[in-house]
Amino acid sequence: MTATTSTVARQHRSTSLRRWVQRHGWTVGIWVLLFVLVAWYATLIPRFGGFQTATIISGGTAWIFLGIAQAVVVIAGGLDLGVGGLLVLTSVTAAQLMDGQPLGMVLVIAIGIVLAAAILNGFVGWIISVSKVPDIVVTLGSLYVYQGFALMVLPKVGGGTNGSFRWIFTGSENGIGANPWPSIVVIAIPVIIVAWWMGRTKSGLSLYAVGSDAPAAFLSGVRDTRTKVVSFAVAGVFAALAGFSSVSISGVGNPTTEGGNLTLNSVAAVVIGGVVLTGGIGSVIAVVPAALILFFFNPILSALGVDPNRAQVIQGILIVFVMMIAGLLEWRRMRRS
Amino acid sequence: MSNPQQPLVSTEAIAKSYGPVVALRSVDLAVEPGEIHALLGANGAGKSTLVKILSGVIQPDAGAVDIHGEPASFTFPNDATAAGIATVFQDPALISDLSLDQNLTISGLHRTDIEPWLERMELADFDFGLLARDVPLATRRLIDLARALAHDPQLLMLDEITAALTPEQAALVFDVMRAWKRMGRSVLFISHRLGEVLDICDTATILRNGQDVASFSLHGVDEAELVAAMLGSELAAVTPPADSESPQLVSSVTEQSDIVLKAVDLHFREKVKGVSFDLRRGEVLGVTALEGQGQDELFALLSGDHRPTTGEIIVNGDPMSAKSPYDAIRKGLVLVPGDRQLALFPQRSVRENLAIPLYNRVSRWFKLQRNESELVGTAIERLDIDTRAASQVQRLSGGNRQKVTIGRWLIEDFNVLLCFDPTRGIDIQTKAQIYDILREVAANGAAVLLYSSELREIPLVCDRVLVMYDGEVVHEQAADTATEEILLTAAHGLEAAQQ
Repeated sequence: MTATTSTVARQHRSTSLRRWVQRHGWTVGIWVLLFVLVAWYATLIPRFGGFQTATIISGGTAWIFLGIAQAVVVIAGGLDLGVGGLLVLTSVTAAQLMDGQPLGMVLVIAIGIVLAAAILNGFVGWIISVSKVPDIVVTLGSLYVYQGFALMVLPKVGGGTNGSFRWIFTGSENGIGANPWPSIVVIAIPVIIVAWWMGRTKSGLSLYAVGSDAPAAFLSGVRDTRTKVVSFAVAGVFAALAGFSSVSISGVGNPTTEGGNLTLNSVAAVVIGGVVLTGGIGSVIAVVPAALILFFFNPILSALGVDPNRAQVIQGILIVFVMMIAGLLEWRRMRRS
Repeated sequence: MSNPQQPLVSTEAIAKSYGPVVALRSVDLAVEPGEIHALLGANGAGKSTLVKILSGVIQPDAGAVDIHGEPASFTFPNDATAAGIATVFQDPALISDLSLDQNLTISGLHRTDIEPWLERMELADFDFGLLARDVPLATRRLIDLARALAHDPQLLMLDEITAALTPEQAALVFDVMRAWKRMGRSVLFISHRLGEVLDICDTATILRNGQDVASFSLHGVDEAELVAAMLGSELAAVTPPADSESPQLVSSVTEQSDIVLKAVDLHFREKVKGVSFDLRRGEVLGVTALEGQGQDELFALLSGDHRPTTGEIIVNGDPMSAKSPYDAIRKGLVLVPGDRQLALFPQRSVRENLAIPLYNRVSRWFKLQRNESELVGTAIERLDIDTRAASQVQRLSGGNRQKVTIGRWLIEDFNVLLCFDPTRGIDIQTKAQIYDILREVAANGAAVLLYSSELREIPLVCDRVLVMYDGEVVHEQAADTATEEILLTAAHGLEAAQQ
């Protein structure tokens, strides 16, 4: 066995690059796919420049944040159907409270909403952990509750926010512009923070540990309830960020948005991003391009002149197709080992 | 606070039950500072339960744990670690989807904390970027140990750490344990290998049926004495019940009977290492072993759940190559698994559960045969299944559930009934009924391969018995002369002194 060990050490040095590609292959692949699609899209439409880029990225920001909210929960072995409802609730709350306020006040309100969303969704996680009722049941409940709260906060479309706040999320004070950089920064900062947290710190890695092997994680000193609460609280934070992007794009709060559809988009982003639905495997970094690709489907299909009604069918088939490729790769990996 | 006169860790009348099953009745254990203390006992004696209580994984129903004479109570594994007790559990606790570095991070450690210990175990220059799933099991066990040591515990608990190790690696672990002891720390050591217990340990506490029955210094003790202590004097005197209680034990098997199942040099990974045997029509062949000696994998091979690495399974002269249990069932090898929950559809009725094998015929004939309910009715009667709660199998008692799992095969034709510990956790009366059923199955011309962890039931049911140790059959003999002492000695991998 000592022979095995030294072989292992030698292999390490010669194959660390191959290992990195193997381990992050899906992430790399999905980013490449995004850029290929963008390049292809550029040839399909007459003009492609900063405006189109900015539209895709700022429009996709909410999808990205919601995908990451879902990914954090799924990696920890859970599922949160409520994130879409929480997006609606936080967006209408923001529209209601931020309307007519100066930027400083708006930022204070934003921080307050983020914290409240974290606490509220963390409480949902706590209920799941303590009651042992399956995630899918409790969060179906939280989805309806959030949606109902949203109607109480803002009964019909209305409210608004500060122009500078909209610029942070969209690169433009009125939601339409040609500057993609603010959106890129506002996506990159939280994503990098959460990726670092999940890959390097004790509390972040605990999410992977519980999602991968809950009994072994418990024996290693990971507390299951705490981990569940933390994963749902972080999902709450990202759902609130998604809510802010949504308000910033449209400029108003809309309590009649279907949170359930948004949740299903987030699950699709997680799946395409290579996060395994049973937990423990995946990366939030890959969910970013996955969510953008999903958002991007419709412009591409309409550029191709596909009937919007058929577009949905194609989108559905593509999701299943991507998953079958993932399944095939996983099956080959299992056979080799 | 720390009183040198006090034991390092002691328990008083610790008790723990899981529903109706009593795991620990009352255990007093005292581990002194600077000693290596062995915890011994047969399967199900309660060793692992005690370890789990001392490590904060589960909480006792009654009793107290003291550290240096001060009461201690643990709600989480972290509490025990903080109190100076670190554990290497029987099952590896590394998360297989995470790298070793990440695994250390979740226990609040860094690779530099465990590297000195790994070097002592000849794992220098180790690659911590590997995923735990890609590291060999033995290495994972050593990392588990290094991780426990890095918490710098007063008491180190090792539950079957040597089971997955080579003798050379085990020797390295013993060196580490001795070094730990020289530092004035203590080790609680659990192993089925009595030789290494005598080599390394200073004292031993013996558990039997959830109670501590003896605690003594190991100085000058030999293996035979340890086995005797585990059996207990009163048990060694018990003889198998008189023949009147088991009238079926008139064996119908002879040298001329056909061989229905022949295992030829079966290997499976490192778990089954060259198992061969013949099973004849009308025979009940017993298999016994301590936990984790390859018996689970052997039954998985025979029932078609795993495929052997090498070797052959021959059924009625034809080699079987089963891709799934379906193929094995078609060949007439049917399994009553150790975990009854695996075999039953708990929310369905007794009749449906019994009729499951018949549904294979539905696909062939598009309807059930007319006599289905007749067959099921006969089985219920024959097995004496309590049908008051027949609408849902989950409401039945454990014994009745087990009768359903066996009964389902009785209405199908089969060649070999593979029974994995069918009487575990079942009352005595039902046990006797199950023995009768198994003998009847054999008398009617089928064969039975029966794994039992209860040594005393071997002579009651079996014609012949195989004892497995470390993936091999180490002992074979006629069951009627197989005393508990012979079987337990063989099960520990020791030479049977006399037969």
